[in-house]
Amino acid sequence: MRLLATLVLEAKPEEDVNKQEILAVFEDAASRPLAYAQAWKDRTGGKVVGSFPMNFPGEIAHAAGTLPMILQESDDAITLGHGLLFPFYCGYTRSMVDQAARQEFNVLDAIMFGDHCVQLLGMADAIRMQLPDTKVIFFQLISSMCDPWTFGRAVESFEVLKNELEEFLGSKISDEAMHESTKIFNRNRQMIRKLYEMRKSGAVSLSAVEMQHIVKSSMIMDKVDHNKLLEQFMAYVEANPEPEPKGIRLHLSGHFCQAPKREVLDMIEDCGAIIVGDDLYHGFRYISTDVDEAGKPVEALAKWYMERNTGVPCPTRVQNDVDWDSFLLKAMEQEKAAGMIVLMAKFCEPHMYYYPEVKEAFEKKGVPHLLIETEHESMAIEGLKTRVETFLEIVKRRQAA
Amino acid sequence: MNIAVQEKKANKLKSTRIAGKLVNDYWEMVWRAKEEGKLVCWYEGSAINPFLEAADICWVHGEAYSAMLAARHQEVKAQQAAEERGYMKELCSYARTHLGCAVTNQRNRNDADTGVSNAPDDDDLAAKLPAPDMIISAYAYCSTGQQWDEMTSRLFGKKVPIFNVSIPWVWGSKPDAGYLRGQEWDETSKYVARQLEDMVKFIEEQTGKPYPWDRLRAMMADIKTASKLRLEAMDMCTARPAPASFFDWVVSIAPINNLPVPGIVDYFTAVRDEVAARVATGEGAVPKEKYRLFFDGIMNWNKVGWLAEKFARYDAAVICGRYTHMAFWQEPDLINANDPLLGMAQNYLICPNNHAAPILIDLIMDLCKKFEVDGMVIHASRTCRAFTNPQFLIADAATKRLGIQTSMFEGDVTDESFYKDELLNSRVEAMLEAIDSRRMVA
Repeated sequence: MRLLATLVLEAKPEEDVNKQEILAVFEDAASRPLAYAQAWKDRTGGKVVGSFPMNFPGEIAHAAGTLPMILQESDDAITLGHGLLFPFYCGYTRSMVDQAARQEFNVLDAIMFGDHCVQLLGMADAIRMQLPDTKVIFFQLISSMCDPWTFGRAVESFEVLKNELEEFLGSKISDEAMHESTKIFNRNRQMIRKLYEMRKSGAVSLSAVEMQHIVKSSMIMDKVDHNKLLEQFMAYVEANPEPEPKGIRLHLSGHFCQAPKREVLDMIEDCGAIIVGDDLYHGFRYISTDVDEAGKPVEALAKWYMERNTGVPCPTRVQNDVDWDSFLLKAMEQEKAAGMIVLMAKFCEPHMYYYPEVKEAFEKKGVPHLLIETEHESMAIEGLKTRVETFLEIVKRRQAA
Repeated sequence: MNIAVQEKKANKLKSTRIAGKLVNDYWEMVWRAKEEGKLVCWYEGSAINPFLEAADICWVHGEAYSAMLAARHQEVKAQQAAEERGYMKELCSYARTHLGCAVTNQRNRNDADTGVSNAPDDDDLAAKLPAPDMIISAYAYCSTGQQWDEMTSRLFGKKVPIFNVSIPWVWGSKPDAGYLRGQEWDETSKYVARQLEDMVKFIEEQTGKPYPWDRLRAMMADIKTASKLRLEAMDMCTARPAPASFFDWVVSIAPINNLPVPGIVDYFTAVRDEVAARVATGEGAVPKEKYRLFFDGIMNWNKVGWLAEKFARYDAAVICGRYTHMAFWQEPDLINANDPLLGMAQNYLICPNNHAAPILIDLIMDLCKKFEVDGMVIHASRTCRAFTNPQFLIADAATKRLGIQTSMFEGDVTDESFYKDELLNSRVEAMLEAIDSRRMVA
């Protein structure tokens, strides 16, 4: 296949590329991650290293000259995967196992991960058994974030992950290469964060799906190419201001490992909402925190790992001195969001544990929120639409009161 | 196949009846703890109770409390309280039940603060659980454990000190990796042992006293002895007919896992002696052993006796299982009672799920071969993903490597609503018929 990214980047002078064309490139990569990886591999001859969400730093694999990509839930229905994981597992894990069973991960040379959600571990075991020729590297990241030894253990973990990748590739990853990759990744995060700021202030009109395409494609594409496209995109949107979108300002929360489905995001906006902020993994959570560009690279990654949980707390970690609920309330204040929709992937245990804390904090503050449980399989969108419409009416009344 | 209609009773070990009394005495002690001025520690997962018992701290194992409620069919109130606060039904039902106790406790405290009279009924076991003075989280494999403890801490307003021991999963991908061996095993063992040292310092901070290491050493010596007796008795079940069943070992989990250490050597001596006597006389755990089965999965605590009777009616001796035979101080030889930390850490690391599938499956296949089982019944516990994770891989290995039949049924640890009796009946009957057919062909 030919990638849209290649076509756009090669065929047109930079100054002629417009917003929609670049968004189409992002959408293309986001929709066909494995095809993108194959095309990249064909073009460069390099190795592709997949990773599971949410805390493996792509910088290490990038510095090794490979294409790091975060493996994505597929839209396809689960088939062979049913024989490996039970239906009461989250859509992400079931879809991943299904893709492995259908040999769709053959493009991957290695998989690396450090998170240890219990369902993810089951998935990893099943995938390793399905892909005996693919190296699967794991070292469990400490998830207790405020112990005296958290930093030291995180350093050790990233060191082991790096060493194992070096062993697999047969070459050392230099500090210089790590610094260079860090700069590239930081640049990417910074540009996307700027887009978040612009969306919040109304300086750019980006739907929830468009924002997702930008972030999700960043998880997949070669970061150098993604940066180039983002730079063109930023230049275009800054030079071509659009009218500020109108609607009820909402924050979207939750949905960790997998991206929310397009039809859910579109439906929410079709009901009259505009999304002005989020803490989705396929959103602000992914790009929230930069890595220090100086010093020892592995230590910088450990610091980043800890700081991103302080910046955008995650229920998959335990940290008694930060509160996700307080973070959400503060973020909404900054975003001038009038309500929040919580998107919870069905069977996501960390989210199910933390949700009552969020619910209580929001009820106490009188901030409206709506919980929507999402599924891998198709959802009854019309029923959800009625709930969202009702929720938006409640938000409007609260605003009017 | 009408074998189910015949009345055949499980021949349970008589010696395990003492476990019931020991369990009751223990929970009575827990319920009195505050009156007796004891500090109470809540913990889940790993059996860190000897550390607490030695320091004269009352220990409450969350799963054990939930299991006790379920076994007494008193889990519903706690589960409802949890659901009222927003904990969803798909959450680990151990955690949901235990968090429900915490919710009930806090609710009663808040009611007392506002002057509303809502004194808990003395029979309401959800409300009877004393609030923690400290929480220690030391959970192998399952991410749920750490999150459950964190949420408990938040439910108590983050006012209860909490200590986390991180126990990594043994992934075992290096060439030297294996059960109890390899660089990963050695390094991980030391990492957990170092954290246990810090955990002891945390305990000292809570009690304000130097830690009584001598008492811990003495307790670990007893645990080592009890564990060896338990394993000796389990090993005798290679005999035909098997003198004890998986369900006898389920009843014996509390004594080895969380009951007061004094008394457990006597308990397992009695169990070992009874099993030996049965072997000598050829007395079986089911009246007429026709099938020998492996049980994969965690226990369905609402159904222990009920399942024991069900399989007995099928002439099926469920002899061994992942839950009972691969956990609970399972490697006593690793424990050096004079210097117990490393061996304790290593026993925490070999909880039945904390090794990745290739190692885990090898161990299960070895058990199946050792006890010469004809089939495997697999309990897919709806809310315990730690146990369900490798079950399709285990079933596949059992069929391909050993050529034995497997049968799966859905249930749960403490939420009875996930259990479907007819599914179990028809699937087990189908499996036993398949075993019969194979025997006829052979």
